Amino acid sequence: MPALPTEAVLGAWVATGLTLFIYSFLYKDNPLFKLSEHLYVGVSIGYSVVLAWHTIFLRLLWEPLAQAVRDAPSEAGSYMLLLPASIGLLMLTRFVPRIAWLSRLAFAFVVGFGSGVAIPRTVSAAILKQIEDTVQSLAPTGTGGYSAFMDLALPQSGINAIILLIGVVSVLFYFFFSVEHTGPGRVAARTGVYFLMLAFGAAFGYTVMSRMSLLIGRFRDLITFSGAEYGYATLILLLVTVLSLAGWELAVRRKGGKA
Amino acid sequence: MKAFARRMVAIDRRIIFLLIAAAVLVPLLRPFGLPIKVSPEVRAVYDYMETLPERSVFLLSFDFDPSSKPELEPQAVALLRHAFRKNLRVIVMTHWLTGTGLADDVVSTVAAEMGKQRGTDYVFLGWAPGAYALVIAMGQDLYTAFPSDYRKIPTKDMAVLEGVRSLRDVNYLISLAAGNPGIEMWYVFGKDKYRFEMAGGSTGVMAPGLYPFLRSGQINGLIGGLQGAAEYETLIGLTGTATAGMDAQSATHFVIILLVVLCNMFYFVLRGDPGRSR
Amino acid sequence: MIFFKRHLPLAITFVMGITFALQYYVPHPVSEAAITAVSKWMQIISGFALLLGIASLFHMHAVKIRRQAAGWGYSLVLYGAMLGTMVVGFGSHGETKVDGAQTAFGWLYDYTMVPLQGTMFSVLAFFVASAAYRAFRARSREASVLLLSAVIVMVGRVPLGQVLLPWAWDVTQWLMNVINSAVRRAILIGVSMGSVALSVKIILGKERSYLGGGKDA
Repeated sequence: MPALPTEAVLGAWVATGLTLFIYSFLYKDNPLFKLSEHLYVGVSIGYSVVLAWHTIFLRLLWEPLAQAVRDAPSEAGSYMLLLPASIGLLMLTRFVPRIAWLSRLAFAFVVGFGSGVAIPRTVSAAILKQIEDTVQSLAPTGTGGYSAFMDLALPQSGINAIILLIGVVSVLFYFFFSVEHTGPGRVAARTGVYFLMLAFGAAFGYTVMSRMSLLIGRFRDLITFSGAEYGYATLILLLVTVLSLAGWELAVRRKGGKA
Repeated sequence: MKAFARRMVAIDRRIIFLLIAAAVLVPLLRPFGLPIKVSPEVRAVYDYMETLPERSVFLLSFDFDPSSKPELEPQAVALLRHAFRKNLRVIVMTHWLTGTGLADDVVSTVAAEMGKQRGTDYVFLGWAPGAYALVIAMGQDLYTAFPSDYRKIPTKDMAVLEGVRSLRDVNYLISLAAGNPGIEMWYVFGKDKYRFEMAGGSTGVMAPGLYPFLRSGQINGLIGGLQGAAEYETLIGLTGTATAGMDAQSATHFVIILLVVLCNMFYFVLRGDPGRSR
Repeated sequence: MIFFKRHLPLAITFVMGITFALQYYVPHPVSEAAITAVSKWMQIISGFALLLGIASLFHMHAVKIRRQAAGWGYSLVLYGAMLGTMVVGFGSHGETKVDGAQTAFGWLYDYTMVPLQGTMFSVLAFFVASAAYRAFRARSREASVLLLSAVIVMVGRVPLGQVLLPWAWDVTQWLMNVINSAVRRAILIGVSMGSVALSVKIILGKERSYLGGGKDA
């Protein structure tokens, strides 16, 4: 097998070390974890700043503006991008207490636009379309007849449409606190609770699946980096981490305090 | 029995951590390889991709960052392999700033393996800010939203984008999402007005919340989590990272079930006991 | 002065909100050109908003270092990592790859950011297991229903479960497609109605928290 480039091996050692330092939190909050946690935040911010600069200020603002001015310097339209740039700069006045009120103009622009575009789209996509699918006709379409109507395995069957309708209405009723949940209302609310419990249980199952997948992904990398081509990075750094934690624990106990 | 139950309920959680670590590690080192059953919602995505003619425009949005890489990267790889195999024109982008490098890595690697050319067969537009505003901008005029791609090459005359003016010209869009901005945003601000077909790929945490959109046909398929990725790999005949991870997934689920069953057993033993651990 | 500090921002919000709510229903070329232009502007403005967030983080940790508050050494590490990444990133012109070869910026991304971010969130897996053991008890009928549903889904969504209990897969599909859909739909409708109501309140000036508070808001 051809030798890996030095930067790849070095990178594997750095990645493995940082991974194990984060996992050291499972023992106890400790300096190794805190170090890698702050490193993570620092690198993320640095990466974001670099990419934001190149994408927003160069690619979206400076280059199109410079091109437009070069092509048609006397046309007013060429300078149009100065308007959003000015609004953006107004936002930054938030840091200067005496003129911080100017940032309100920028936020008003952004929030007004966001609220305006959201209303019709949310009503159409998240409310009307959802209600439309809930109140379906129970008349059987296509072949299948009664057995297709009663087929629980078929998501679009009649029986499932009825269950869905009951579920949506009862859960909506459960969250409607302006009316007291007594009598028939109590039956509706209790039905809603059981629907909620079934759904949250399913959500928990999916959450477990998701979190375990993340762990599986990291362990795969650790297994890869434990190979000879990477200089047994995982095994050596695991030993280093364990010994460091042991040393730190001893030092803390000798001091007589808790970590 | 009660004393044992009391001790077990108060067990150091680090023992549970070791159990989980073992449940992940052992199947990864010694896989047992079980068949993957394909769900209708994943098959729907595959079937729709299969109906797309050559040179159709397929947009894949990497709406995740490295924290969701283990779940969504296998989905991305499988979808890209399928799209390149079908000779579709692939447009890749991301709404998540910190996921940009990851998206570039994935698309470059898969494209190189499949012998595809940047600019002719695919383009990586990179990241742009705005979330919903970006979707609207793309829906109105793609070149206003992305005047150049991630490599700073102007998008206007790219062969892969020939005839693509806006999102209305996209034949199929899949958003691989770990949160917001993601699938719901693409639908509400994108498909609702610009009328392209779309599907979603999501983390396991997000997947249950997307079923209402699946049921109403607002998205035509859903690939949920690592299991969903493994199902898609099965459909395209690939033994990838998702399939390899399913044994560990099985083991960890059964360990969790065992822990829950034990916890309840001890709870029922100690119920009514004044000294029980709450 | 109160006009510029309160009334003008509220007027801007109102005009922008009404204009772009109605724009959705107006297919005229002028209307389409307006939304094209403004959505482009919003991309640039949101870039400045990102700068705002980053600047706040800068400030927070700078204060910690200046006051030598508890853990200020770690804030120094954060600053060092941030500046180091920025130097490397600007030196690489923001590119992670050049002609197929990885740059120093790309190396930093692949071998520090990706593993750090991935590992941070994977730690939750251990805590989910620990929490499930300690707290997931069938204390009541409702809790039992939740528990049963969770166990069925955990069995039904993995290959081993599908082999041992084939019916678990079918029940999981039904739970997700019908029961879960119903509940999530109800929550989606409720939340969407709430967000539309909030948007209307913002446009009409009843909700002013976005102005940042103070006696002039």
